[in-house]
Amino acid sequence: MESRILLVGIGNCGRADDGLGWAFIDKIQSSLPENYDFEYRYQLQIEDAELASKYQTVIFIDAHNDSFEKGFVFKECFPQATASFTTHELAPESVLYLTDSIYDKKPKSFTLGITGVNFCLAIGLSGSAEQNLLNALDFFIIKMHLQPIKTIT
Amino acid sequence: MSQKLVIDPVTRVEGHGKVTVHLDENNRVQDAKFHIVEFRGFERFIQGHPYWEAPVMVQRLCGICPVSHHLAAAKAIDQIVGIDPEDLSLPAQKIRKLLHFGQLFQSHALHFFYLASPDLLFGAESNPLKRNVVGVAMEYPELAKKGILMRKFGQEIIKMVAGKRIHGISTTPGGVHKRISAKERAYFLDGNEIPSVDTMIEWSMEIIDFIKSYHISNKGFLDSFASYPSGHLGLVNKENGFLELYDGFLRATDADGNITLDDINSDDYNQYFYEGVEKWSYLKFPYLKHLGRDKGWNRVGPLARINICDGIETSLAEQERLDFKAVTNGKINNMTMHTHWARLIEILYCAEMMKQLLEDDHILSNDLIRKGERRKEGIGIIEAPRGTLIHHYEVDNKDRITRCNLIVSTTHNNEPMNQAVRWVANNVLDGKPKITEGMMNQVEVAIRAYDPCLSCATHAMGQMPLELQLFDHLGNIIEEKIRH
Repeated sequence: MESRILLVGIGNCGRADDGLGWAFIDKIQSSLPENYDFEYRYQLQIEDAELASKYQTVIFIDAHNDSFEKGFVFKECFPQATASFTTHELAPESVLYLTDSIYDKKPKSFTLGITGVNFCLAIGLSGSAEQNLLNALDFFIIKMHLQPIKTIT
Repeated sequence: MSQKLVIDPVTRVEGHGKVTVHLDENNRVQDAKFHIVEFRGFERFIQGHPYWEAPVMVQRLCGICPVSHHLAAAKAIDQIVGIDPEDLSLPAQKIRKLLHFGQLFQSHALHFFYLASPDLLFGAESNPLKRNVVGVAMEYPELAKKGILMRKFGQEIIKMVAGKRIHGISTTPGGVHKRISAKERAYFLDGNEIPSVDTMIEWSMEIIDFIKSYHISNKGFLDSFASYPSGHLGLVNKENGFLELYDGFLRATDADGNITLDDINSDDYNQYFYEGVEKWSYLKFPYLKHLGRDKGWNRVGPLARINICDGIETSLAEQERLDFKAVTNGKINNMTMHTHWARLIEILYCAEMMKQLLEDDHILSNDLIRKGERRKEGIGIIEAPRGTLIHHYEVDNKDRITRCNLIVSTTHNNEPMNQAVRWVANNVLDGKPKITEGMMNQVEVAIRAYDPCLSCATHAMGQMPLELQLFDHLGNIIEEKIRH
């Protein structure tokens, strides 16, 4: 059976570059083969553990505060028990921990953090974030052997 | 030396608040307050917008209960287009109610399984590293799995009706914009892809059995912790006084069960309520005018609703209500921790109602919208998960909103939560030589019983923790707990 892959775009497109996770999904979805699914999230929730349990690979895409040479960072993500003061925020590691402890599933997981610079109330990405997004898309398409993104002219 | 204790942030609640406790030289409690310290001003910036935008805009108040704001605003906007609740088409009424019950079901599940259960399962003074939903998942994986799937079921109902789980859109002035398809409803009935609505009823009963057993084993704690006499306010069914969550009369009782607000029409709420203000909180203090600020405040939410209603229309939840009432020999229940029990009875009620509505062919109908004669004012009142939610709008002849008043559930519960904090301060912290983390968590346990949504109540934006600080008699902070 073909491996099922889930992309989770995290963020809030009403807060400028915080929408990088969603923008990534917007751009990449037309290039995704059938074994890919995608979801948009403001923040991860506990029930995402159940969703993750149904996939062999889960990739979380989010805006990042830190700077990186190519404008993004891609790294493997492992289950880790962390506690938060509210249900409003849950780290990918915590979701994976719940996936493991409740559903006995360990999907291979990665985070793709794309550097943003403006997180104020605004619609649209900053110029710098736009460039970082393109770099991340190029990397991801090659890494996952996807078709190039179709552009509408 | 006198001290002031501050809890900042209060954890496992939806929002950012702070608790301060003032101690004298002998560590005796002098004062305790629950502060809401953020402000957003939704009522102001919605002015000038066209009235039909209100149900879409106001749900951005919250990521937990946007459906409640969406529906309360929709009911108000219905009136502006000349449609009172009873004038909606039956399909529109039933689709809205299905959305509402899905919202209540998922929100109550979130609160019980994710926020409250760690305190009950591990104890209020247990290791905080374990006292959270991750700890619950480790030690009680089956319980956690059911909690997740119950919340998911409610969210899937919301997604079916409103298009997405958070900030979807279902209503339009005078109705709803989409019917339910046979395929969509089969998803919830056949149990092929997700556990069916019958399984939701079964699991709801299991979790009520849990709280009843817990009560037998922990009667002292559940019956006494943060208990105090109060008024109780909520909607009741217009025809029979039963539990009503979508549209009904407003009823209130005092702590002994005497009626203090006698089934008034929602449109008349303004004649009966004032909102007090305090300089130390952005959250107002609503109260019944005729009883005054000191005696006119009321709890709202599950405990209040089960207290004031004359019955529940679904058979399983009604039996549970009767068992619940038997604990107090039919009298009003003022035991704060019993709010969790009442919430679980409502979970069962919502599950039964979702089944009833899903099996009703009206939801498949295309008869969705009614039109009426334009008015200048609209009032929508519903029972949100946390209690009575009031939306009130006035519009000008260019269809622009000129005035907006929102009284959200947590606002009604402001004084009750302050009472609960004072109870813990006086009964747990008073006179103790050292304040432990476990003691401070008990302050939060008392607040958590109300499932407060502080972001709704103050319309706050951004990170929303809650804090605790300890002050000496000169006003200096000598201890502060902030958890992020």
